[in-house]
Amino acid sequence: MASATSTPTPIPMLKPMPSALTFELIARCSTTKARAANLTLPHGPVQLPLFMPVATQASLKGLTPHQLEATGCRLCLNNTYHLGLKPGQEVLKAVGGAHKLQGWKHNILTDSGGFQMVSLLKLANITEEGVRFLSPHDGTPMLLTPEHSIDLQNTIGSDIIMQLDDVVITTSPDAARMREAMHRSIRWLDRCITAHANPTTQNLFCIIQGGLDLEMRAECCKEMVARDTPGIAIGGLSGGEAKDDYCRVVNTCTGLLPEMKPRYVMGIGYPEDLVVSVALGADMFDCVWPTRTARFGNAITAHGLLNIRHARYANDFGPVEEGCGCMCCRKKEDGGLGITKAFVHHLASKETVGAHLLTIHNVWYQLALMTSMREAIIEDRFPAFIKKFFDDYHGADKTKYPDWAIKALKMTQIRFENTSIRTPKRYQNSNPARKTLPIAYCHDHMIEEA
Amino acid sequence: MSISTTVQRSKELKELVFDIIKHADAALSSARIGKLSVAGRKDLETPNFFSLSSRGAVPHLTPDVISAHTQFGGVYMALEDFIERAGNATPPIMNCPGPFPLHTFAALPPSLITLLAPRRTPAVTAAVGNSNNAISIFTSNGFQTLSNKAYINYAEKLHPDIAVALADIPHGSVPGTKRVTKMADRTQGWLTELLSGRKEGKPAIFAPILSIDFLDQSEYINELADEFADDIDGLAFYDSNLLPDIPETTALSRLPKLSLDEPSSPRHILRQISLGMDLFTIPFVGFATDAGIALDFQFPRPSQEEGIVSKGTGSAPLPLGIDMWSTSHSTSLTPLSIGCPCYACRSHHRAFIQHLLSAKEMLGWALIQIHNYTTMSTFFHSIRESIRNKTFESDCEEFARAYESELPEKSGQGPRVRGYNFKSEGPVEQKKNKAPWLPLGGDDQVAQSVVPSDELAGKLEEMGVTEQADQ
Ligand SMILES: [Zn+2]
Ligand SMILES: [Zn+2]
Repeated sequence: MASATSTPTPIPMLKPMPSALTFELIARCSTTKARAANLTLPHGPVQLPLFMPVATQASLKGLTPHQLEATGCRLCLNNTYHLGLKPGQEVLKAVGGAHKLQGWKHNILTDSGGFQMVSLLKLANITEEGVRFLSPHDGTPMLLTPEHSIDLQNTIGSDIIMQLDDVVITTSPDAARMREAMHRSIRWLDRCITAHANPTTQNLFCIIQGGLDLEMRAECCKEMVARDTPGIAIGGLSGGEAKDDYCRVVNTCTGLLPEMKPRYVMGIGYPEDLVVSVALGADMFDCVWPTRTARFGNAITAHGLLNIRHARYANDFGPVEEGCGCMCCRKKEDGGLGITKAFVHHLASKETVGAHLLTIHNVWYQLALMTSMREAIIEDRFPAFIKKFFDDYHGADKTKYPDWAIKALKMTQIRFENTSIRTPKRYQNSNPARKTLPIAYCHDHMIEEA
Repeated sequence: MSISTTVQRSKELKELVFDIIKHADAALSSARIGKLSVAGRKDLETPNFFSLSSRGAVPHLTPDVISAHTQFGGVYMALEDFIERAGNATPPIMNCPGPFPLHTFAALPPSLITLLAPRRTPAVTAAVGNSNNAISIFTSNGFQTLSNKAYINYAEKLHPDIAVALADIPHGSVPGTKRVTKMADRTQGWLTELLSGRKEGKPAIFAPILSIDFLDQSEYINELADEFADDIDGLAFYDSNLLPDIPETTALSRLPKLSLDEPSSPRHILRQISLGMDLFTIPFVGFATDAGIALDFQFPRPSQEEGIVSKGTGSAPLPLGIDMWSTSHSTSLTPLSIGCPCYACRSHHRAFIQHLLSAKEMLGWALIQIHNYTTMSTFFHSIRESIRNKTFESDCEEFARAYESELPEKSGQGPRVRGYNFKSEGPVEQKKNKAPWLPLGGDDQVAQSVVPSDELAGKLEEMGVTEQADQ
């Protein structure tokens, strides 16, 4: 395995890569690196920056496609690994792909399946050929190659497909292994490009690797940008690294990526992470956290996470979030359902309807957050937006602002008044669970449950 | 069909009005068509049904889905679903603002009629018996007693459109002779208390008919006919076999009759309708949904198309439902039922629904629930047409020839989340799926840096990775 470690990867003489998308840059923040753009995909336009809810197994946690559409979602994620197991490629072929399977008229993005295999199946073993693993069905040895992954994603018919990459956890101390993974990911990208059967109807995104090593990231950016895929993902992150490191990597990559292509950071979904990442120049994000946390009774709001299972909400007859425009929170007079915290509390962990309602709210919150960032960028008031966002999120208590966010925003020229940087450790100890959760928790579409 | 002037006058005072529109051929059947009108709600043509709720929610269906994709006209609410805190504090629902707290609390579409009863149907067998002034109920915190006084207070404050009066029913156990004699007495006493304390005829009250022999409650039933008939708004039958025994006085005949008799199949519904039942609660809809069974029947016979396309020929009776767990549907692009107008059938196909069940995705049960409720609405619509056309009895015979008598057995598992109310009864799944494979490695670290949660544990357990008790 080590033999391939430092083989330089020549840029192959590729024919110009067709693209099934158009990317139109609408506005740039004059202070930060944030951008607003229109991305037109085979199943319609979407507006960047964008959050993509994760419909792991071709459904978003109890919501009908109709309800998902009503949240404003026009691009959701399906997981190739899960669809490959169930319903399986044969069924997908027979049915005519994932759009037809789930009755979804809008866009779908699929991952390569490799990351989830490595994460879910601890016996997965990576060789130059691909990812070896034991079938979850019958334990027989299987192999997922870049060619298989693309073939499966071609069958799924997703609007954006991802290359198979060699993922090493970012905190791994093994620099040689990290370098090998980065180079192998480039080689696998070439194999994915060659294998891709539908470049005019499906957009292949490369995935930048290289751990927390900025030079390695830069090298990977250079190599992969040369392959000219329609879009670019920054991968390997949200695997437990410090948020400072995360921000440095995103900042470095976005600085090296072409302006006129969408940039997707995989596995990111906490509101603070989204705001900072947009400021660092990223456009697209996905995460299971908003829908997962809904099933634990948590509502995401501009003022932080509320656990509606807490007894204090048993007699709270206000909406989940005052002023929220989602179907649940809007009053009946305004065409909404008039759902109260008290009702969600009453249902929490006893009837799935309670989780469905919070899922609707949380997805709406995430999409609305992205929309409001976009508007702020277009109107060139994004720095003010960021300040207000952190103010609201922390009850106007600047001492609660996370240090990593302050530092990251400094990279983008934004400074908060009266804040000082404290040690990350102190920050972690002095804050409740919400803020001390590692970003990694977020990336657990790799452990998405049924 | 002519309505007496006395009835007309009393109507003006009532929130609930029931008009009998048409009778079936009286020589053959007591089936009838009626119209239930409640101020502010959508009129409900009978025979019809109320959906069952659990903690105020129709299982699997958010209120927007109820509005958009179902046609049922009312919801049955069990008080025991709302008052688990009653021991220590005022139950939150009692603090809900507005003139219709039950409606508001559950965010129900305003068009739906609410029916409040003390207990769920079916109800979990109580650990202790009822007393002279209270019954035993089962809340999410366990067994409690509910006094008639408390029930009257709840019914008044929550303002359901209809409340079923408290009944002395030993759910699940067979009462001894000593007990039987008390049941009717207690129930009558409780009803008297409820009616005498009621203000402005709100809410409408359905008097319970007990699941004991007529002779054991004849005094009570005669009292209903003689004394209570003008004050009550309907009858709620815990045993539909009592229907023929009810005195056919004008005052009782005009009342809507609700079945809480837990019909186990469409055939039982038809039988009760022919005995004069107007309204139903139908637990088998939810049972079928949770079992992944899509109801598949039409009254009185399958549509031409369907008979030919999917059912073949021959005289064997057709199954009443389709087991959607079966992998035979995995590539089927046909709807659950051909010609079904429901959202699930218009927008999706069997392959997707089979996939969702097999992947244990909650949407699978939601779609089947939408379909099953639509199937019931269509069924009742056809029944009313049949009564109108005076062909109801022969149509029932045809239905009995066309379809099997009971629903198919379930093969798959129910949804992951089960209500507390299932704990004490029924065939509850014993163990989560046995893992189809096992990891060979020794260490128990599954995915790095991920905090194991109870939900995650469930997933991992399912994948055979670890054993962790549910929280
Ligand atoms: Zn909301
Ligand atoms: Zn249907």
